[in-house]
Parts: sequence; C-alpha cells; structure tokens
Amino acid sequence: MPSLLFAFLLLLSGGCRRTGAVAGPANRAGVLHLAAADDIPTLDPALGYDTASWAFEQMIFDTLVRYSAGGVELRPDLATAWEASSDSRRFSFHLRRDARFSTGRPVTAGDVKYAVQRVLDPKTRSQGMAYFRNIEGARAFTRGRAADVRGIETPDPWTLVFRLRAPDPLFVEKLAMPFAAALARQEVERWGEDFARHVVGSGPFMLQEWTGGQRIVLKRNPYYFAPSRPRLQAVAESLGVSEELQWLRFEAGELDLGAIAPAEFPYVMKTPRLKALTKKIVTLSVNYLGMNCQMAPFDDRKVRRAFNYAINKQKLVALLNGRAMPARGVLPPGLPGYDPTIRGYPYDPAKARQLLAEARVPQSFRPVLWLRADPTTLMLGQSVQQDLALVGIALDLKPVAWGPLLEAVRQPRTVELFLFGWEADFPDPENFLAVLFSKKQWGANNDTFYFNPQVEALLAEAAPIADREERYRLYRQAQRIIVSDAPWVFLFHPVTYVIRQPWVHGLVLNPMRPARLDTVVVAPH
Amino acid sequence: MTTERIGSMKIIGAAMVASLAIVALLAPWLAPHDPTAAVAATFGDPGRPSLAFPLGTDALGRDVLSRIIWGARISLSVGVAAMSLTLAVGGLIGLAAGFFGGMVDFVLMRFTDMMLTLPALLLAMALISVLRPGLLTILLVIGLVSWTQVARVVRAETLSVSQREFVVAARALGAGSARVAMRHVLPGVMPVIVVMAALGTSGTLLLDAGLSFLGLGVPPPTPSWGRMIEEATAYLRTAPWLATFPGLAIFYAVLGFNLLGYGFLAARR
Amino acid sequence: MLSYLAKRLVFGAVVLLGTSLLTFLIAFVVPADPAVAMAGAKADPQTLAVIRRQLGLDLPVYRQYLNYLDRALHGDLGRSYIRRQDVARLIVRRFPATVALAVCAMTVALVLGVAMGVAAALRHDRAADRMLLGASLLLISTPVFWLGTLLLIAGGLYLRSFPLGGFDGARSLVLPALTLGLGMAGYYARLLQANLVEVLAQDYVRAAWAKGLSGARVLLRHALPNAALPLLTVAGLDLAGLLSGVVLTETVFDWPGIGRLAYEAVFNLDIPLIMGTVLFSALLVVVANLAVDLVYVWLDPRIRPAAGV
Repeated sequence: MPSLLFAFLLLLSGGCRRTGAVAGPANRAGVLHLAAADDIPTLDPALGYDTASWAFEQMIFDTLVRYSAGGVELRPDLATAWEASSDSRRFSFHLRRDARFSTGRPVTAGDVKYAVQRVLDPKTRSQGMAYFRNIEGARAFTRGRAADVRGIETPDPWTLVFRLRAPDPLFVEKLAMPFAAALARQEVERWGEDFARHVVGSGPFMLQEWTGGQRIVLKRNPYYFAPSRPRLQAVAESLGVSEELQWLRFEAGELDLGAIAPAEFPYVMKTPRLKALTKKIVTLSVNYLGMNCQMAPFDDRKVRRAFNYAINKQKLVALLNGRAMPARGVLPPGLPGYDPTIRGYPYDPAKARQLLAEARVPQSFRPVLWLRADPTTLMLGQSVQQDLALVGIALDLKPVAWGPLLEAVRQPRTVELFLFGWEADFPDPENFLAVLFSKKQWGANNDTFYFNPQVEALLAEAAPIADREERYRLYRQAQRIIVSDAPWVFLFHPVTYVIRQPWVHGLVLNPMRPARLDTVVVAPH
Repeated sequence: MTTERIGSMKIIGAAMVASLAIVALLAPWLAPHDPTAAVAATFGDPGRPSLAFPLGTDALGRDVLSRIIWGARISLSVGVAAMSLTLAVGGLIGLAAGFFGGMVDFVLMRFTDMMLTLPALLLAMALISVLRPGLLTILLVIGLVSWTQVARVVRAETLSVSQREFVVAARALGAGSARVAMRHVLPGVMPVIVVMAALGTSGTLLLDAGLSFLGLGVPPPTPSWGRMIEEATAYLRTAPWLATFPGLAIFYAVLGFNLLGYGFLAARR
Repeated sequence: MLSYLAKRLVFGAVVLLGTSLLTFLIAFVVPADPAVAMAGAKADPQTLAVIRRQLGLDLPVYRQYLNYLDRALHGDLGRSYIRRQDVARLIVRRFPATVALAVCAMTVALVLGVAMGVAAALRHDRAADRMLLGASLLLISTPVFWLGTLLLIAGGLYLRSFPLGGFDGARSLVLPALTLGLGMAGYYARLLQANLVEVLAQDYVRAAWAKGLSGARVLLRHALPNAALPLLTVAGLDLAGLLSGVVLTETVFDWPGIGRLAYEAVFNLDIPLIMGTVLFSALLVVVANLAVDLVYVWLDPRIRPAAGV
C-alpha cells in the first residue's frame, strides 16, 4: 500500500507539471491545442491506415507527391517533377536536394525505396502491401526470393524509377499515401518494434512527446525544406477526451480547433457567432446499406429498389445532426468524374409498398441487418428499422465487431443486408466502382456479390486508360447502370465539421485526407 | 436486529419487486406508445418531458416512458433467468462439494477458486463479443461468471447441515447418497438459497445493465435500461433527463431485491 | 509454512495456466480470421496469406498454443490489431492511470466504509444505525455507471468544478474515485458493522468496558483490530480487482486505464489485446491472493497449516 500510494503521488505531480508546460499562458500563440477522443493507433507510416494515424503521419513525414491543400490535385513534395511512360508502366521521379530528416541527414531516393520495400516485407505486416505488389519483382521480394525489389531503381541519389508489371495510370496516387513516406533506415532499425514511438521523418513537424492515451506534442522540424513552414511552433493534442468534453474545453478557450459534439450541433448552427467559426467539407466517402444480390428476395431488383424508396435518408441526416448529405448514387460530389445528373431514389414509402407487393415478398419475411456495434451505427440501424416497419417489413439488427462483420460479408450467401461505408484511397471513380462492384472483388470488397456483364466490360475498358475525361465518361455509364440495378441503398456522404477559435487562421480542410496544419497560424490572444 | 425492522425491510422489498413484476407483465397495456416506433419528430435532438411524453422522447423520436415500462420486462426476465441458472450451477456444485467432501470437494473448490480469480465482467464481455449477441448468450454468460459465490456459500452451509444428527443418522442407516442429499440436506440449505436468490438477482440485474451500457446487451431495438443510459450519454448536457430515468429504474429494481435479500439474511442471524 | 506457501504458488501457476488456455480458446473460436483483422478491410488474398504465415496460423492448434505460451512467458503478448502496438507495452503504459484510480477509490471506500460501519455498530439498534445501514443499501444498489453519469452531470456540467473525463491531474480523479468508492463503502460498512457488533458483544470487550476504559479506547485498541481483519482481506482482493481495470467507471469517464483498454479491445474484437488484458488481471489477482496469504501468515502464524488451501 505505501509504495502504491507513493507511486500515485508521483504520478499526480507528473501530471500537473506536464499540463503546465504545454498549456501555460506564456506560449499560447504559435501553439495549436487540439483534443481527440481516442489515442492514436500508430505513427509508423507502414502500419497506420486510419484517419487519426494519418493526420499525424502526414505532418511528420514527406511523400514523393501529395495532394493540394483543399483539393485532390497531385502536387510536388519530395519530388519536384515526375514523368510517366505512355503505357503507364514506368514512372520516374526527380527529388529535391534540400530535404532533410529531423536528424539533419539529407533525404535521398534510397529512403523512399527503403520505405516501399519495408511495406512489402511480410515481417512488417503492413496493410499497404497490396498497393505496391504491381511493382516488378515485388512478389519475389515478398516471398523472400530476392533481397531487393527489382522494379525500384535509384540511378543516382536524386532519381527514383518504378517499373510496373501491368499498366496503372493511378500509380502516382498510391505514392501519395503515407505508406510510401521517406524513412530514415538507421532510426527504424535502431528502434525496431518501438519505432512508432520514436518516429523520425522529413515533414514540417517532428515528434516531441507521445504519452499513450494522454497527450501527443509535435514541434517544428528545424531542417524542413520550406523555411516559411510550418507557421506554428508546436501542435499539442490531448488524447482520450470525449467529444462532449472537447466541446466544453473549446468553449472555455482551451482548444483552438474542436469537433462539435453531436448534441451541441443544433445549438452551434443556431448561434451566428459560432456558426461563422465553423468549417465544413463533404468527404470523398459514401455510406450504404448493402443487399446481397444472390440471396432471395434481394436477387429481385424490385425489392432492392423498394428498399431504396422505403428508407428515409433525410431522417438519417437529421440523426447525424446534418453532418452528412443524402446520396443519390455511389460517387461523392467533389470526386473527379462525379455525375451531378444522377437523381437516385427519393423517399417514397407508397412506391416501396407497391414494389414489394409486385415482387410478392412473403409476409413471414424477416431480414437481418448486420452492422457495427458502435452507438452511431446502431442509431442509424434503428432508424432503418423504423422506416422498414412502416412498409411492413420487420427488420432484425445484428450488431457485431468490425472483424467478424468483415469476415461474414465476404462469405457468399451469408449476409443479406449490411451497413457499410467506403472512403476513397485516391480520387478516382475506379477506387469506388471497380473496387466495390466488379466480380473480381467477390469475396473481397464487392460484398453484395453484384454482377452485371455490361458494368464489368465498362470497368475493364476504363482501367488502363490514362486520359481522364475518357475514363470518367466510361465510369459515368457504369455508375448509371449500377444505380438502376440498386445493389445498395445509397445512403449519404459524411460531412466533416470543425470549429475554430477567432485567433486561428489559415486552416484548410481536405475532402480526402486530414488537414496537414502546416499553413495554420495561431495569433496572440 | 429488531424483528420489527427486519420485517419492514422484507415487506418493502417484496412490494417493490411485486410492483416491478406487475409493470413487466402489464407492459403492453401500461405503455402509452410503441416503445420502438418514432412517435415524435425529435430526430437527433431529444424532446423535453411534456404532457404528451412525461419523460420526454429520445434522439430517435421514441417515448422514453414506454421504453422504461417495456424495459422492466426484459431486465426482470434476464435478471431472474440468469439468477436461476446461477443458483442451479452454484447450488449443485456447492452441494456436491460439501456433501461428498474429500477429493470431490477438493477438485470442485479449486475449480471454483480458479473461476473466482478470473475477472467476471471482462470475461463476460469477451465471451459475448465472441459468441452471437442475444438473449440466450447473455443469460448463459451471466450464469457462467457469477455462480462461484453461490457455490462457496452453499458448500459451507451443506457442511454444517451434513453434520446435524438426522443427516448423519440417515447416512448411517444406509440411505442412498443422492436421496439423503435431496431429502435431508437440501431442505436445510434452502434458507441460504433463498437469500442468495434475492441478492443474486440484484447482482445479475446490475451485470446485465452494465453489459447493456457497454453495448453488449440484448440487441436493439429491444428496450433495455442499460442501453438507454448508453444512448443518452451523448446528450448529457442538452438532455440530462434521458440518462436519469432509466437509471432510477435500475436503482429501484436492484434496491428492491437487495432489501428482500438483506431482510432474509438479517432474519437468519 | 514454506510448504503452505509453495502450495499456494503452485495453485497460482495452475490458475494462470488455466487462464491462458481459456483465453487461447476464446481467441480460437472467434468467428474472425486474425489475418483479416490485422490486414484490414482493403487487403487482398495474397496479403492475407502472407500475414497468416507470418502469424503462424498455418500451424496445428497445440503448436499455436505452445508458441503463445512461450511468447507470453517472455513478456510478448502479440501486437494489437487496432492499435498496432505491442500488447504488453500498451498494458504497462495504461497501468499508472488505473493504479491512481484504484488507490483513490479504495481510500474513499475504506474511510467512508469504516466511518459508517463504526458509527452504526456503536449506535446498534438505534435510529442512527438503521439510517446508516439504509444508506449503505442505497449505495450498494446504485449502478456504478449511472452514478458516474449523474456525478458528471452534477459536478462537471452544472458546478463546472471537475473535468468531464480524462486523466489530467488530481482534480480529474475526484469524480471517478467517488463513483467507484461509494458503492464499495456501502459493502464495507455493512461488513464492518456486522463484525463489530459480534466483537463488541464478546467477554473481553465487555470486561474492558467494565474496567471503565473510555469508549473510543476500547473500540480502537480492542474491538476494531479484530473486526477489521475480514474487511482487510476483502479489501485486499478488491484492490487487485480494481487494479485489473474497472471497465464501467473508466468507460464513463474516458479514463485512460486498463479497463477502458479492455473495453476497446472487446468492442473491436482485438483478440491479442483481449487475451492480454484477461491474462494480466488474472496475474494481478493471483499475486494479490498470495500477498493476502502472506499477510495472514505474518499476522497470525497459527493459521498456516490449518487453512490448508
């Protein structure tokens, strides 16, 4: 007992000291104070594959290319220029010579090659492996038959060449993912499994402190190649702070940027002073209710359309406090190739009842909707349940954890209905239509087991075409057929809202990635 | 303790439990609305208590009062059923260990000790998440993790009852073991089982509510008090009544069974 | 005495072995492929195959278990699916927050419980006794997550004097420690009161009263030490339980401790983390049991052979 008590006292004093150092009034300007509900899964670019990890990885690391601040155009980062061969199989990059890691060492082509090889190494267990398997020699390397990936060449320290097995017009987009961020090999090998907590990169910020579940602090990287960036001295995020608490801290002026707690959202929107401080962006993602096209009665298009008419999307948006826009098709607005002329399915329970009657759906029909067990998803599921009850369908909910849900939907003829979402990895219709509706993705991402030979042909035709307008034309045709076949109930596109303090300037939200914060300014206040 | 007070504890407890049972049985007639349908358009912005909806409406537009009334049904059935399972498993193990003694006792009690070591809530959570969530799973899991205390108490009681003269005599006369255990020992152990039943129900009620609060209870839209509190946590500031009323309901039920249990316990002293 | 302790040690080891087998079985029957859980939604079959081999999932079950046991003995509990970090390190990093909460809650429970128990025993069978016992019953009957929620509303939202969650200095400990401590105080009060009433009725205490010793003195010197022993046993084991994580309270208060970690693990079906937290809490309870045994032996050497177990 006494020793425990002592440990506890130590802990308390430690806690207080840290708080003072970060939140002290003296250095309020130049330091951006944030909070998040959950800890960050990792800072290791090979391992992170979620918004929270990427938000910090993007600030600490550089990739060859990255997206424009508020858009999805590729911009130079470590590479100043790049060329693609006409068959989209060979890509060369010219690196800038003034980039340095936060240790002071210059960044070279070998550091990017090392990072990609590390992702391809099975010992790393990276989720990014699939994006680089198309590189020549990647398979042999993964199987341990080669010490190097043959298709990645570094003719000199400032030039990097990738050769691919099959044409891929989207390959450069894959290099904009943090998986391909330049890594300092020495530091990675020095820390091993613990690298995630001692990351070293060449981005605008560097890691100063990360106390698991409590706090993370980034400070500026003195060696960053753009001397005017970042415009902040530091970013300090408190972790494990619920959305409700974040809101109160924001109101007290302790946070410079905050999420808006769901319950507070109506109040913020009704208060002009607060509303003026909000920023929003429609994300490149879509939430949907998938219907298994191989399981009766969902093999009947009439039933699938009836569900589209029966479900009240405006109500779902209201449940999300307006933080979503109703979907009319698969592709989100803001995605290159988006088709504004698609009308989708309005809320029309009478029409739904009529279609169900035509399809002769039996009275005893009691479908089961599989969904994740988190509170928000469960609320949406219960709303769908209420809507379907109004057209005479008794829906059961089956809440499960993410892993088993994923496992189950991939089995043929197992899950008839499921609530899912999809976020773009790169800004192209291919990343939605081919990944989610091609027969090649049965058992992987096409979990409705949808198949339409016309769509399949269009997808195959579009894939290798480098000319954007031509691709988009074909994808628009494919999307029209998909919407008319209705393998999904197209629900909504989530909208991100943040609120800033009046003294925070220069924040730009990105529809696909977390904001990089290197342009943000915190004025004295 | 004075008999007067023990009596009043039991009576108050019994009255509380009985009132709950009546609400649970008559839920379809008592509840003013369908507990799962949207009866007010308060989507994403829960409604305050009003004349039409005395306890307000939740974020899905459902009547909170109706949900609490129907919730009594599910909570009581889970509590009582899980308690019965707990008693059956714990009672049999305790009886066997105390009655047969020796090796049987040693093995059963070491096993009980081991189960006591495991973190009950954590184990229940792990099991439910792995198995299919549903009423039956929850009953089984609660039963599985909470029988150990019953086994210990019943064993101790069996030991003392077994040493009484009539039991010793019955065994000496050559009556079958099972027969002696059932005819002579079980009735002697019965009072302690009654106490454990009442206290056990308050325990299973709390465990069930806790699991529901963690999102591991009976799946929605079945109204459950614990889940109602969980769903209310997002609205603590803007709609504090949402979390208050279902909590009062759990508190009332648990208190009723506790009064009953401690009343019986005090009467035995 | 040594053989008694040796027996206890062997029993502890058996419990841990049993727990490891149980957690391994849970992981084994889980309807999710660990490779899928690790590789995520977007992985293709080749990636999955590679990861499966890497995790040793192609080996026979008993080999997998022995591997798991071997790694666990070396402090390697695997890597969390969701957090992508070493499970043992995650647990160790979360432990201080749980220790702080557990110690504070136990302090609240003991101080309040002893005060209530002593007061009730001294006023045995009077109105005050009934009120105190009634109050303890109310405390026992309050669901901890509801009490936590109410305290958040009252202390955090209306009074604004306490943070609404998270672990950030001494002030943030007050509400969760009260939430957790109050219910336990109810139990301790009842336990102590019952024991004290018994002890106070015994001859040597009566004799002490008769000798004209003051009430407080009799209580403190003679009655309390005897009546407190069972309470300390219970409290010691309870403390071990608290240290292994208090899921509900930590969830209500967003407390960065073991319990919240376990909740997240279950919620995400993060198997290595579930196995790790269950194993860790079993270890704590085993150690606490041994400690309580030692204390007993130390306090009362007569117990040792007779206790047997």
